[in-house]
Amino acid sequence: MTRTIHLSLDINGRRHELDVEPRVTLLDALREHLALTGTKKGCDQGQCGACTCHVDGSRVLSCLTLAAQVEGRQITTIEGIAAENGELHPVQAAFVEHDAFQCGYCTPGQIMSAVACIREGHAGSDEEIREYMSGNLCRCGAYNNIVAAVREAAEMA
Amino acid sequence: MRDFSYYRASSADEARHAALQSGAMLLAGGTTLLDLAKCGVMEPETVVDITHLPGLGRITVDAGGATIGALAKMGEVADHAGIRAAFPAVSESLSLAASAQLRNMATIGGNLLQRTRCSYFREPDVFPACHKRNPGSGCSALGGVTRNHAVLGTSDTCIASYPGDLAVALVAFDAVVELGGRTISVDDFFLTPGNTPERETVLERGEMITAITVPASAAAKNSTYLKVRDRQSYEFAAASAAVGLEFEADGRTVRDIRVALGGVATKPWRARNVEQALTGKVLSPETVEVASRLAMEGAVSHGANHYKIELAPRVVARAILKVGGLV
Amino acid sequence: MTIMEPRKHGDASDGTVGGRQTRFEGNLKVTGGATYALEYPVEGLAYAILVQSTIPAGRVVSVDAEKALAAPGVLMVLTPDDDMGLLVASDWGGNRPENQPYYPLPRQVQYNGQSIAAVVAESREQAVEAARLICITYEQTPHVASFNDTAAGEGKVMDNLTSGWGDAEAALADAPVQIEGEYSTPREYHVAMEPHGLTVKWDGDQITVWEPSQWSHGMARSYSEWFGIPYENVRLISPFIGGGFGSKGAALAHGAVAAFASRKLGRPVKLALTRPQNFTNYGGRAATRQRIKIGATEDGILQAIVHRGASETSTYADWPEQTGAATPILYKVENFSSQHRVVPVNAVTPGALRGPGKNPSAFGIESAMEELAYKLGMDPLELRLKNYADHDYQSGKPWSTRRLREALTEGAEAFGWSKRSHEPRSMRDGNQLIGWGIGCGTFPVIQAPSEAMIRILGNGRVEVVSGAIDMGQGTYTILAQTAAEVFGIPVDQVEVHLGDSRLPGAAIAGGSMLAGSILGAVHKAATAARDELIGLALNDEKSPLRDTGANTLTFSGGRIAAPRDQGPSLTLSELMAALGRDEIEILRNTLPEGATAQEQHQAWTSMAKVQGPTMGEYSMHSWCAHFAEVRVDEDFGTVRVSRIVSAFDCGRLYNPRLVESQWRGGIIMGIGQALLEEGLVDQRNGRTVNGNMGDYLVPTNADVPHIEVISVGVPDYGASALGGKGVGEVGIVGVAPAIANAVFHATGKRVRDLPITLEKLI
Repeated sequence: MTRTIHLSLDINGRRHELDVEPRVTLLDALREHLALTGTKKGCDQGQCGACTCHVDGSRVLSCLTLAAQVEGRQITTIEGIAAENGELHPVQAAFVEHDAFQCGYCTPGQIMSAVACIREGHAGSDEEIREYMSGNLCRCGAYNNIVAAVREAAEMA
Repeated sequence: MRDFSYYRASSADEARHAALQSGAMLLAGGTTLLDLAKCGVMEPETVVDITHLPGLGRITVDAGGATIGALAKMGEVADHAGIRAAFPAVSESLSLAASAQLRNMATIGGNLLQRTRCSYFREPDVFPACHKRNPGSGCSALGGVTRNHAVLGTSDTCIASYPGDLAVALVAFDAVVELGGRTISVDDFFLTPGNTPERETVLERGEMITAITVPASAAAKNSTYLKVRDRQSYEFAAASAAVGLEFEADGRTVRDIRVALGGVATKPWRARNVEQALTGKVLSPETVEVASRLAMEGAVSHGANHYKIELAPRVVARAILKVGGLV
Repeated sequence: MTIMEPRKHGDASDGTVGGRQTRFEGNLKVTGGATYALEYPVEGLAYAILVQSTIPAGRVVSVDAEKALAAPGVLMVLTPDDDMGLLVASDWGGNRPENQPYYPLPRQVQYNGQSIAAVVAESREQAVEAARLICITYEQTPHVASFNDTAAGEGKVMDNLTSGWGDAEAALADAPVQIEGEYSTPREYHVAMEPHGLTVKWDGDQITVWEPSQWSHGMARSYSEWFGIPYENVRLISPFIGGGFGSKGAALAHGAVAAFASRKLGRPVKLALTRPQNFTNYGGRAATRQRIKIGATEDGILQAIVHRGASETSTYADWPEQTGAATPILYKVENFSSQHRVVPVNAVTPGALRGPGKNPSAFGIESAMEELAYKLGMDPLELRLKNYADHDYQSGKPWSTRRLREALTEGAEAFGWSKRSHEPRSMRDGNQLIGWGIGCGTFPVIQAPSEAMIRILGNGRVEVVSGAIDMGQGTYTILAQTAAEVFGIPVDQVEVHLGDSRLPGAAIAGGSMLAGSILGAVHKAATAARDELIGLALNDEKSPLRDTGANTLTFSGGRIAAPRDQGPSLTLSELMAALGRDEIEILRNTLPEGATAQEQHQAWTSMAKVQGPTMGEYSMHSWCAHFAEVRVDEDFGTVRVSRIVSAFDCGRLYNPRLVESQWRGGIIMGIGQALLEEGLVDQRNGRTVNGNMGDYLVPTNADVPHIEVISVGVPDYGASALGGKGVGEVGIVGVAPAIANAVFHATGKRVRDLPITLEKLI
């Protein structure tokens, strides 16, 4: 038998209890154990950014984070950034407005990264946005529109 | 990833003690350990999580220099105003590394211990031969695809390059690794492969990096980190250089110069011969170009990585000219 | 799917065909609510993982699975010893050998990274770890690692790709100006952000497959044929696809393995390819090389083009990456000769990747044209305009529409081409050399019959129902726009159901053929539904519009009324209520009248009914001209694209906002192709050693400048029912040569082998 441990994870302001093997990543815990599939698995190797979520407000890759590591931290995923009443987060709205995605698979990661990028103060110019959003690959090639969306959301923030 | 047990350490001593157990490995940011565990390269039986240890993430900068706690995140150090002012090369090396997300995860201590990007090292099932992974098994990189491999500090057993950026800046400015019980210069901390490529640093089992100290200097204050790569961002260096420079009062004669290279060697590579060639000289494009070529003394290429021998001195030269105010 | 509060944009034309409606499914995608294949909540899942060969050629002697079977949580190991009892499915054309067994885990190894075994366990982690315990003994045989391997030979000529007219060799020999060059492109990969994988579940002899698909019906057919079950018993569900770019058009071996495992275990199974397995398990774009000779007069009139190309294929199937696809149609030339070979190597069979054929072909001819321009001392723009093709010299047919001249001139104007200085190395900014280059592109208009259903519901909502898919091109949006326009209602009154093989059949989302094909069917069905409603409204005694005396009705602003304000106006729901109808459902297809059920099935599940670009009176293609500016660091050899202007003739644009996104996407993939992307093969064992996203580099945000895209097209009603031509493929075609040409202009160095990495310039 493999070992399992009990975890209590605080995700999007809610407490989730789960029993998993210690080797389960935060990404797999979200997708396979908690039905929070908005966080995407693109490479599972820290090379694409699709799994980006926030831990204590800081953007990280959930594929290289153990679920066990973040017990006691505040985790935020794409499912947790719109308002209670369903109103989109300004970054989400800007992504729709600027057509900042096509297939949509990298989009949750892009948006979580963008929210943090703006909060970090790294959205001061198009050049800075490009650099600080480069950890999120988009194969459909929505980069121009992502920059436009982040710029607009940063100006509104 | 093999099944392992998870242990969250509550003090540094507890972590060191736990790390002494057979099969135990320390887990900080996880960006190397979990990546390589997924590749089947690292196979911990116990993962000792040190990310919750208190007090190991502090960054202090004063007139004497900087002390950076081992658990400080790369991103925090990169954005630290004091570091940026006193050690621009350190700050830049971090900003240009990996991605914003990885920089928020990876710790300074863990970053030093980042493993090579050799494709052969990372694929044990397809390429069983790797002295670094399995001493005595051979080297798959020799005779293979070598575009990213080292040209300096290599041996017959291993040509894997050290991939990191920060350590290149640190080695240039005589930074010191604090290991709790002892201290050692970053330069001496790293080992070239020789006949023991499995041994990349002097770190012993049960030892843990607790902090890195960087002495302040005029050269460190006037420094830069230049990173050249195929892709504009989120990529390892094809060649990089950390350079710091202090002029004599005349503003043109070199009093102190520091040069280190990344992306081209098996460890963060201090180019003291370049420094010696320029110390006491009047800085000019010509003297810089000639001196920069010395950085490749002893370089050996293995096919597709030959370009690095041409590229690296140009990177060094540009970085020197930049801090010298000549470009 | 249901619509989540669409945002309103600008004027009312947004929601009609040609309007800039925002993406219909946008809110689902930005909230994490769009459900991709591996995200369905299926109870009792088991997890499968593939084990791949580590040799390039040979035979599996034995598979020792003892340790794996003993590992925690392991439910099953499948190996070549398991006779799954499957049969080979039809090929693209719908042809199928009779009763030929299919072995998705074969004993014969034909490439390094071929799936040989599979492990199924209670959790993914357990399956992955157990897979590492499988021990395979091989009998290895000699291999050919790539077509540069001396053992590869010259390969075989693809006769169907040989093309020619006039006397090219003689005209070339007589031409006063000649150039010759060999151009090559490496193996390139799709790298869709969503890896391949599926969830599969059996209920008796009914199977449900949740799998990303560019063609739900075609892939469903493969499952039914593999397992010998009726087509109706297969349901393939794929409402959202995380990028395909050609890789998700066919069911692959891993699907058969997962489905077999699920049936044998009596449990649903999820199988996800790891990212590295996405580089070995299916083919990307084949490596190509081509030699081009051009003869011209001294004032730059083309006299002859001689083209000889080759591409890698596998040892078990011929897949030509047609290096001569764009060569014959870009320019006016009276003497032409082209031949293409495939060279078998020990690699997975290559596949279609954005702009198949046209893309490497354009790299060759568009690089060669600039070489000619420099040999002549002529502006490359002038050379292209001077040799403008007034008709298709290959088929002899007139173009349906061809606004390539406008693309060149308007693109040049927007780019500022006239300010260019001709000499290489004549533009610089400090250490950076600046260069400008042009590359033209083209992609044929292909169409396939499609079917669509329209439902008008009692609540006034209109549903568009089709098995077509949306992987980001905008199918949801333009179908909603089409229905909204026909019924004169806002887009948010429309629902669109896509991506399910049980729904009406549609063309593959490939070859840029889906939009033109499916819009024809949707428009036809919607118009028919509207006509039926008009008939009821004018004739049904319960209808308030019956007494207006009108012989037709208008649909506008959400209301239905007789023309010229005669009588009342009603909303759709009011009219349906008045008529006492809960639903009006209309199914229409674009096959010829009277097509049999078998013909319909064939049309949706094979390529047999696909219409090529010259099968009618005209030669029909999309066209584009790219203008690229690069900055090359003189010392480091690093190339960065600093500006791109691209002008396109894709006919009528159904939604310019989404079209522009697709064009930019193609251009960005072209930047990757030009500068970064290359599968690096270890010649010793045939393995691609950079099969991951950290080593196979695709462009990041920082690699991409602002890209200006311009539409110069006009509606082309020969090309499609609503006037559009293909959009998705053409964007990438011509980008790589534009960049290579700009690099030459910047540096004076002509790089003929992609990608243009720094070591080629220092």
